[in-house]
Amino acid sequence: MALLSWRERLTVPTYDNPDYATTGRLAIDHDRCNGCGVCAQICPGKAISIRGEGKARRAWLDDDFPQCMSCNDCAAICERDALRVVVAYDFGYYYKKLNRGEFTLPYKY
Amino acid sequence: MDETATVETTDAGPVTGGDWNPVERLILERRSVRNFKDKQVPEYMVRRMLEAARFAPSAGNAQPWKFVVIRDKEIIDEMERDIVRWCKIFKFFIDWRTSPLGRRAAWLLSQISIRVKSNQLHPIPFGAICLIAEGKLGAFHGAPTVILLLEDRRGVSRPQVDIGCCGQNMVLAANSMGLGTCWIGFVELLKYGLKWRRRFGVEFPYRFCEAIVVGFPVGDPNGMIEREVMEVDWYEDGGKKAVVQGRNDGTA
Repeated sequence: MALLSWRERLTVPTYDNPDYATTGRLAIDHDRCNGCGVCAQICPGKAISIRGEGKARRAWLDDDFPQCMSCNDCAAICERDALRVVVAYDFGYYYKKLNRGEFTLPYKY
Repeated sequence: MDETATVETTDAGPVTGGDWNPVERLILERRSVRNFKDKQVPEYMVRRMLEAARFAPSAGNAQPWKFVVIRDKEIIDEMERDIVRWCKIFKFFIDWRTSPLGRRAAWLLSQISIRVKSNQLHPIPFGAICLIAEGKLGAFHGAPTVILLLEDRRGVSRPQVDIGCCGQNMVLAANSMGLGTCWIGFVELLKYGLKWRRRFGVEFPYRFCEAIVVGFPVGDPNGMIEREVMEVDWYEDGGKKAVVQGRNDGTA
């Protein structure tokens, strides 16, 4: 079995088509989030927006391409531990990700 | 005496399951920074970064790099403006969602361009081109210091790999001094047109490759995060085993 079939090698995914592409997914704990907006500021994909007013301000993941590149920089900078990446981006076909599994912290061997 | 230190190491070296040593911790906690304070980085810190770069490994000890340090806000702003201009031009032709050429024509152009420049137009930089063109994402993230890493094309075998080695030395040295850094691949766009090549003297054998922006981070961007576990093939004792890095798979 080839790692990429010829069909996959020759097909460039249409980036904004959800049939081809899985973008990064965040789990945002809205009980912890206070809408400070630091994550939205540093997000390299500008995938996070702050919605709501006053006390209801919360971070939300945007749905349009371009999107979350699952770098987890937001998780690192968030003081309240309110969000983290749970699904990695994978655009499929020519850009299909190989040899990757679930998300874990650094492991002590 | 620190008791944990004696638990973690023996005379033979670190023990299995021990705590991270300072270098490991620095590597694991380092994150890219995209929001900088207005304060300029002291010159001696940049010099120390460059010194760390000088001692990086390179193929055949060719050291195929040249550094250009830019700490002039006007020059950085002008570079940023030109990068935005190029992003707008590319977006005009290949962003099928907004191109005035029409969805179908732009989609076809993008399909051709992506096949020609499959690394530069990977979905992630493609998205970044659109964001930079729309003014939503900064190219240099407001950093006070930009270090260009020019590639000497006459280096041994793969000079760009050596650029990566010396850049990582700089980034880790900067991090250890409390600075934040981010790799900026978009400086490559400055190769289009003669302006910046003339201004920075980027002619054969040099070419634009990467840049690292440096500054004091806003907040605390560092910390350990989760990443995908990775499959590794492992050949030992006459056989092959598949090792999954990042978890206790009973083999280590």
